Amino acid sequence: MPAVSLRGITKRFPGVVANDGVDFEAAEGEVHALLGENGAGKSTLSSILTGLYRPDEGEIRLYDRPVEFHAPRDALDAGICMVHQHFRLVPTFTVAENVLLGDHRAEGRRFLVNPRRIESRVAELGRRYDVAVDPRARVWQLSIGEQQRVEILKALYREARILILDEPTAVLTPQEADSLFATLRTIAAEGRTVVFISHKLHEVQAVADRVTVLRGGRTVGTLSTAETSPRSLAALMVGHEVEAARRSERANEVGLPALELDDVWAKGDRGGDAVRGVTLQVGSGEIVAIAGVAGNGQRELAETVTGMRPPARGTLRVAGRALRGGDPRAAIRAGVGHVPEDRLHTGVAPSLSVASNVVLKAYRDTHVRRGPLLRLGAIRERAEGLIHRYDVKTAGPNVPARQLSGGNLQKVVLGREFLGEPLVLVAASPTRGLDVAATDAVHRYLREGAAEGMGILLIGEDLDEILALADRIVVIYEGRLVGELDASTATREEVGLLMAGGT
Amino acid sequence: MSFPLRIERRLRQPWWLSAAVPAGSLVVAFCVIALVLLATHHPVGHTFTRLLDSAFGSRRSLESTFVSGTPLAFTGLCAAVAFRMNLFNIGGEGQLYAGAVTGAGAALVLGGVPGPVSIAAMILAGAAGGALFALIPGLLRAFFSTNEIIVSLMLNYVAALVLDYLIFDSLSYWRDTSTPDARVFPQGKMLPAAATWPGLHVGLVVPLGFLVAIAIATIVHVLYARTRFGFEVRVIGDSPRAAAYAGMRTRRKILAVMALSGAIAGVGGASQDGDFRHVLDPKGLTQAGYGYTGIVIAALARYNPVAVCAIAFLLGGLQNAGYTLQGADFPSGLVGVMQGLILFCVLGAELLVRYRVRVDRPSHRPGPAAPVEADAS
Amino acid sequence: MNSSILVVVLASAVTYGTPLVYAALGELLAERSGVLNLGVEGMMLVGAVMGFWAVQHVPGSGPLALVVAVGVAALAGTVMALIHAFLVITLRASQIVSGLALTIFAGAGGLSAYLGNDLSLAGAPASHQFNAFLPSGLRTAPVVGPILFDQTALVYVSWVAVALAMFYLGRTRLGLNVRAVGESPAAADVMGINVTAYRYAHTLAGGALAGVGGAAFSLAITPQWVDGLTQGAGWIAIALVIFAFWRPGLVLLGAYFFGAFSGLPFTLQARGVTIAPELFQALPYVMTVLALVLVSSAGARRRLGAPSGLGVAYVREER
Repeated sequence: MPAVSLRGITKRFPGVVANDGVDFEAAEGEVHALLGENGAGKSTLSSILTGLYRPDEGEIRLYDRPVEFHAPRDALDAGICMVHQHFRLVPTFTVAENVLLGDHRAEGRRFLVNPRRIESRVAELGRRYDVAVDPRARVWQLSIGEQQRVEILKALYREARILILDEPTAVLTPQEADSLFATLRTIAAEGRTVVFISHKLHEVQAVADRVTVLRGGRTVGTLSTAETSPRSLAALMVGHEVEAARRSERANEVGLPALELDDVWAKGDRGGDAVRGVTLQVGSGEIVAIAGVAGNGQRELAETVTGMRPPARGTLRVAGRALRGGDPRAAIRAGVGHVPEDRLHTGVAPSLSVASNVVLKAYRDTHVRRGPLLRLGAIRERAEGLIHRYDVKTAGPNVPARQLSGGNLQKVVLGREFLGEPLVLVAASPTRGLDVAATDAVHRYLREGAAEGMGILLIGEDLDEILALADRIVVIYEGRLVGELDASTATREEVGLLMAGGT
Repeated sequence: MSFPLRIERRLRQPWWLSAAVPAGSLVVAFCVIALVLLATHHPVGHTFTRLLDSAFGSRRSLESTFVSGTPLAFTGLCAAVAFRMNLFNIGGEGQLYAGAVTGAGAALVLGGVPGPVSIAAMILAGAAGGALFALIPGLLRAFFSTNEIIVSLMLNYVAALVLDYLIFDSLSYWRDTSTPDARVFPQGKMLPAAATWPGLHVGLVVPLGFLVAIAIATIVHVLYARTRFGFEVRVIGDSPRAAAYAGMRTRRKILAVMALSGAIAGVGGASQDGDFRHVLDPKGLTQAGYGYTGIVIAALARYNPVAVCAIAFLLGGLQNAGYTLQGADFPSGLVGVMQGLILFCVLGAELLVRYRVRVDRPSHRPGPAAPVEADAS
Repeated sequence: MNSSILVVVLASAVTYGTPLVYAALGELLAERSGVLNLGVEGMMLVGAVMGFWAVQHVPGSGPLALVVAVGVAALAGTVMALIHAFLVITLRASQIVSGLALTIFAGAGGLSAYLGNDLSLAGAPASHQFNAFLPSGLRTAPVVGPILFDQTALVYVSWVAVALAMFYLGRTRLGLNVRAVGESPAAADVMGINVTAYRYAHTLAGGALAGVGGAAFSLAITPQWVDGLTQGAGWIAIALVIFAFWRPGLVLLGAYFFGAFSGLPFTLQARGVTIAPELFQALPYVMTVLALVLVSSAGARRRLGAPSGLGVAYVREER
């Protein structure tokens, strides 16, 4: 009898079907991996299983009895616990207090709490499952790996029957990951069920008994890991669809490379190394794509190149001249353009007008100012020019940026960066969330930019986009560049395999 | 607990909304005030008429209104300048005191120097005093990320105590020790006659301070709307991440804006010395609470400098009317009640500008937002 | 010995510190749930005036009238706090501005004055007031007598209140939950804790306690009514919460510390020692700033500092 069984789960959101008739089944005593690229529907499925969303169609069964979750609480009561990528911990509380807080069963039933008393239980659980943490330590003092252990302890303390982990090794060192796998195996061996969401093939092979692959919102296969190989899993993950159009023009490389990175290292937000010894060149007129699943250091790499993150080691050069790291203004002056991943919150000041945003970086230029004063007329002209050139649909240049649709906003950001005539443009997930027309437009502008001699560093995980635009494809995995492919001959499977850590 | 009301962010803000909502809320406020008056057996129409009359009805009342409104304009501008960048400088009170101290000091030091020089010196000294005092929370915020709200609040107390000390518990330069009486009953030295700020005579006397405030408001308006400095302030205030992305230097701006904010309040303090009190007057200054009222004015004015001056004038009228009408047959405390109610209504209505209230029918469960950030087309 | 400077200062520190204890304790609870309420002065004054009115009009014996009066004061403070709570929690207005508006609305020259005037409360002393009531043998005991035993019931109740607050925050599930709400409203929300309900409850409790603090003035310390009776005690209470690093036990000590430092210079003056009182009075504020700087720069902010969710309206991401 399967522990959890999802049949025909369908979930629709405005504009997208996240889950389309998904079947998923995990048994007791099993570690079951859920594999897929971002956007494949893994998060939606797990949200349904934990009661956050309700499926439009389909049924959920636990231990062969149909259940319905109206709220996350119902799932918790049913014994389903999830360890999210972003921990739900209170930093100033101790480990014991966080475990207590998370124990929903005591809610309303027990008036008094004594963190001290549960400390021994927490310590005992830590020993038994090899997730030991000092129960009296405050969470902000712990390393990420230790914080994850607290999340697992919370689930164990609550006596979860079904434990779901979402990309748990994204924040762990290899040793910590191994330790985690041992813990998961121990948990499963007791008859509990572990669902392990991942995009990393070798881990899936290492820890899971079975794996279910999702792609495009559908289940494409459920296999026993003993009977598969990374290659076949990768093929399932990325599919054999008809190839999208490839770049026909070859890059015309003239002069010095637009961008050179030499053994660049950078630290992540939480202290570990996010970028590990990246050496890369982008020629002028060349489009180099960095493919990778989110969380493998590409965001930090983009931030390092554009000066928003200081490099710990290594050198950067733009058109042959050394670039001082950690200083966005220096990067802008050196000719580095940046189309950020989060266009609304980083790329523009949302409440300011479109016109203001067009000169977000250029307001110091002599064209738009006279002394300390801004030349509002010149700014408006510039904005109107951009709106016209890039066909931005807006009521006018004075509309607040946040009122623009995603596609139009991206055109503003892109147009603005182009106006700065950058030597190298870092474009991170430039067409995320855009409709087909907007995506085509953005692709067109990027190609035009390259034709004019700009070096473009395209960062993303949309393989279609990468294959369509890039001259060269480099894959980033766990902060390192793990493979370089000529885009005209690379296949989806090859790239997908590298992205998932395969060789 | 499921709430029947859902609050959604508006996608589009019709232009008339930012004017209609505050106007509407004022109407609501006045209705509530009328109800309060009725409930406590005061004549509504009569009270309102008397208020209007005492505030704006005659030459004398207008002049008194300017007296009340001038310091409020300064502290309102002080708050507006800082709050625009999400710097919550609530130390306007203390910065005003600092300016009063340095302004009076400058006047005393210069002695009988001709008027314009004295006045200019007072303004500059007041600005400097306020700016330096505001740089304390500014530096702590810029370099140590210390919460400027708390630091500026604490410094208000300290500044008030310094004021008291200078006049009541020391023989400082500001203290009048010329006569035996003065030694027993502490008061400040009177400022030289040359340091009396002249008013503008246009049928009634408009204090120089108010004109200075208007000038400052104009400069600030231009600064924020049309200069690079102001551009950076607006971007940082809207989105610190976008500002970092665009290569803006946030730390420098924090210091500059705090200094500017404090300087304005400091000039307000100098104006208190030169326009109205002609002596360093701790009791009067600390009891007035100009700084805190200024914050409220700035909020009502949506941090627009010109609106600040206008609202300061109106609120000054209200306060002036309150003082004048104090007596057995006029409800005391009405001024505070009215100000408070107006504020509450305007604050509460703010929500309607940015959000829309929807009634949720319990049977229909609305669909949740997509996991990927979809566009708002 | 009982008339020595130290004893006199400490005794008056306890007396004058008591309204601060109540008000600061209330503000502490509100801030622990993430709501900053700058309207404490206003709430105290409304509590003071309504408590005074109650004691003048409630028939019956002294103790009964006083208890009812304190209850009325607490209720009045709660109603004031409700305005602030509604504005900042439900309508998501700025917490700073709303709190200031509350002070203007209810404070000196506002509603409290309005009520005091309309109810004709000025001029007459309170019909009943809190007095020290322990047997005189205890009250005149050496050293501890004047400091600990020669105090009113309100003082002793304040000690109980502090103890209850410490117990509540440290040892009960509700206290654990509210701390989570103040620290990480998002995390608390995900755990099923009703952020809105906790914020309302604690803001209202803050109002009730502020009201009692006001009553400590009008029913004990200066048993009469004048406009602006509390003379800024509400502002000091706000500073006190920060000074005490949001811990109830330290609030008690800090209130007496503030009280002592206010009273010390005058006592010294009476003995012929002249030190400017302002130096002493400024010390607690300066120390608060220094402590804050140390804490925020050392990165130990999290250990000792403000609830991280303080001052920010919590908006749950639309599900």
